[in-house]
Amino acid sequence: MRITLKTKIWLTVLSVVMMFAFFILFYFPIQQEKYLLKNFNKEIQNLANTVALGVKIAITEQNFEGVQTAIDFVKGDPHLRFISILQTDTIWNDNHSSYNIKRTVFKTYPDGINIDVNQTSNDSIIVKESSFNTSLMNGSILLGFSTNEIVDSKKQIRLTSLAVSLIVFIVGILIGFWLARNISVPVLALRDAANRVGEGDLSQRVNNYSRDEIGELGVAFNRMVNDLEKAQEEIKSSNIALAKANDELQLTVENLKSTQAQLIQSEKMASLGQLTAGIAHEIQNPLNFVNNFSELSAELIQEYEASETTNEDKIEIIKDIKSNLEKIAHHGKRADRIVKGMLMHSREQKGEKIPVKINQQLEEDTTIAFHGIRAKNSSFQCEIVKDFDDKIDKVNIIPQDINRVVINLLNNAFYAVSERANNENEPNWKPTVIVSTKHLIDVISIGIEDNGTGISDEVKEKIFNPFFTTKPTGEGTGLGLSICYDIIKSHGGEIKVQSEYGKGTKFTIDLKI
Amino acid sequence: MMKNTYRNQLKNRLAKIVFLLVIIFLSTNISVLAQDKLGVIGNAKGVPTAMSEKELKTVMKGEKQRWGDGTKIVIALMKTNTPIGQNTSKRIYNMTGDELNRFWLALVFQGKTSAPTFFNSMNELESFVAQTPGAIGIVQHTSSNEGKLIAVDGKKDL
Repeated sequence: MRITLKTKIWLTVLSVVMMFAFFILFYFPIQQEKYLLKNFNKEIQNLANTVALGVKIAITEQNFEGVQTAIDFVKGDPHLRFISILQTDTIWNDNHSSYNIKRTVFKTYPDGINIDVNQTSNDSIIVKESSFNTSLMNGSILLGFSTNEIVDSKKQIRLTSLAVSLIVFIVGILIGFWLARNISVPVLALRDAANRVGEGDLSQRVNNYSRDEIGELGVAFNRMVNDLEKAQEEIKSSNIALAKANDELQLTVENLKSTQAQLIQSEKMASLGQLTAGIAHEIQNPLNFVNNFSELSAELIQEYEASETTNEDKIEIIKDIKSNLEKIAHHGKRADRIVKGMLMHSREQKGEKIPVKINQQLEEDTTIAFHGIRAKNSSFQCEIVKDFDDKIDKVNIIPQDINRVVINLLNNAFYAVSERANNENEPNWKPTVIVSTKHLIDVISIGIEDNGTGISDEVKEKIFNPFFTTKPTGEGTGLGLSICYDIIKSHGGEIKVQSEYGKGTKFTIDLKI
Repeated sequence: MMKNTYRNQLKNRLAKIVFLLVIIFLSTNISVLAQDKLGVIGNAKGVPTAMSEKELKTVMKGEKQRWGDGTKIVIALMKTNTPIGQNTSKRIYNMTGDELNRFWLALVFQGKTSAPTFFNSMNELESFVAQTPGAIGIVQHTSSNEGKLIAVDGKKDL
C-alpha cells in the first residue's frame, strides 16, 4: 500500500490533534474534577475549622467577632445547606465507673433543620466536621455544603474542554493545510519536475522561495538540473567527438577485418602452398596411370587394327581396352577429386553442411598432408597409424572447413615429430602419427595424436590465441589453430588438446551427429 | 485598784477593737453594696436617655436590633470573669457567666443578632460606648459616672 507524503502529513497532524483532543476532552476534565472536588472538600473543611476556632475563641475569650465573621462568611455561600454546633457530653453511670459520649445538636443554622449528628458526605452534599474543646463546652462544627457548585463546575469544565477541543481540532486542521501546502505541494512539484527532467526535459525548474530545507532542496534541485544541462551539453560534445572517433575506429576495424581476411587467406594460401607438392604427387599418380593406360590402349587399338589379328584376339583386345578405360576413368576421377579438394581449400566462400564420409575424407587428408611435408623434406619418415571406426558413415560437415582443420592438425603433428627427430637422438623412438575416429553416443570423435615434442603447459594455454606461434619466424602465421578453433565452434563441436611436454600431443575434435 | 484599772483599760481596748472591726465590716459592706449597683451608659447617638427595665432587657438580650432613630444597637459588657461581668449576668440576664456565653453563642451562631463586645476594664467599656454610635453598656454605678448614666425606670442604678 502506497502512502503519499500528503497522507502521512495528515495522519501525523490528525494523530497529534486527536491525542490532544482526547487529552483535553477526557483526561483533563477528569483531573480538573478531581482537583475541584479535592479543593472543595478542603475549602469546606477550612470553613469548618475557622468556625470551630471562632467558637472556641468566642467561648474562651468572650470574643464573638471571630465566630460572627466566620458565620457571616459561611452564610454568604449559596451552597450552604446547614451549619451546626454539636455538643459532646460525657455521661457517667451512677457508680462513675463507665461513661457514654453523647453528641447533641446545640444549634443549627438555618434554624429548624433537623440534623443527624452522624451525617456524612454523599453525592448531593459534602459534610465536614471540625472539633473544638473549651472549658465551657466540648463539641464540633458540622458543616454541610451542596455539591451543586461542583456539578455546575463539572459542566463548565466539560463545556470548556469541548470548546478547547474544537479549537484544537480546527487549529490542527489549519496546521495540516499549512503543512500540506508548505511541505507536500513543493515536494510534489519537485517530484514532477524531477520526473520531467528524467524524461529529458532539462528546462524544468522549481519555484520555491521558502527559507527552510525544502527551499534549499529546490535550490539544490535547480542547481543539479543546471549542472545536468551543462553535463549533457558536454556529453553531446563528447558524443560528437566519440562518434567521430567511432567512425574512425569503424574504419580501422574494417581495415583490420580486411587485413585479417587477407591474413587468413594468406594462412590458407600458405598451407595450400605447403600442400602443393603433396597434391602434385597425388595428382601425379593417377596421371601416370591415365597416361600409361592411355598409351597401352593406343597400342591395343593399333594391334586391333592390324590385319593379322583374329576376331577372337579382337574380342580380347576390346576387353583390355575397356578395362584400361575404366582404370583411366577411375584415376581421372581421383585426380579430379584431388583438384576439387584443393580448390575447396583455397576458395574464400561460406560452405554449407553436406553429408561426408568422414573416414574417407580423413584418409585423403592424411595422404595429402604427408606428401606435403615429404615434398618439403624428402628425408621425413613417419609411421602413420589409421584407426577408423567402421560404424561411422556420413557426417554433416562443411568439408572444406573440416579438411582445413584436419590438415592443419596433421601438419602440426608432422612438424612436431620432425622437430623431435631433428633435436633428439633417440634410437628407440619412432615418429608416429595416429589418426583415429570413434563413434560415441551422439558425437563423432576425431583424434590426431603424435609422439613429437609435446607442448608445455604455459604454451598450451595460448595455442588457440590468434597470432600465437612457436614456429620460427616465417614458418607460421599463428592463425592456424585459432582458425581451427573457430571452425569447430561454428560446427557446434569442441576441440581439445592433451599434451605432455617431450612426449607428444593429442588433439580431439568432437562433432555432434 | 490596780486590777480595776487594768480591766478598764482592757475593756477600752476591746471596745476600740470591736469598734474598729465594726467600722471595717461596715465599710466593706458599704463597698460591696456600692459595687453591686450597676448603671447603664449609652452613646449620645441613638441611645435614649431613659428607658424601662423591660426595654433595657429586651435590648440587652438582642431582641431589639435598632434604636428608635434607626441606629444599630451595639451592646458592650464586662467579661464574665470580672465582678461587674458576673453581676451583670446575674442582674440583667439572670444567668451565670457560662450560661451567658452559651446564650450569646447561640444567638450569634444562628445570626439572630450581632455579638456584644466584652471588655476587661470599665474604662475601655466606657470609652468604647462613648465612641460607638448606638452603643449601650452596663457599668458599675459610681458617683463619678452618675451624670452619664441612663435612667432605667427613673433610676440611675440597677
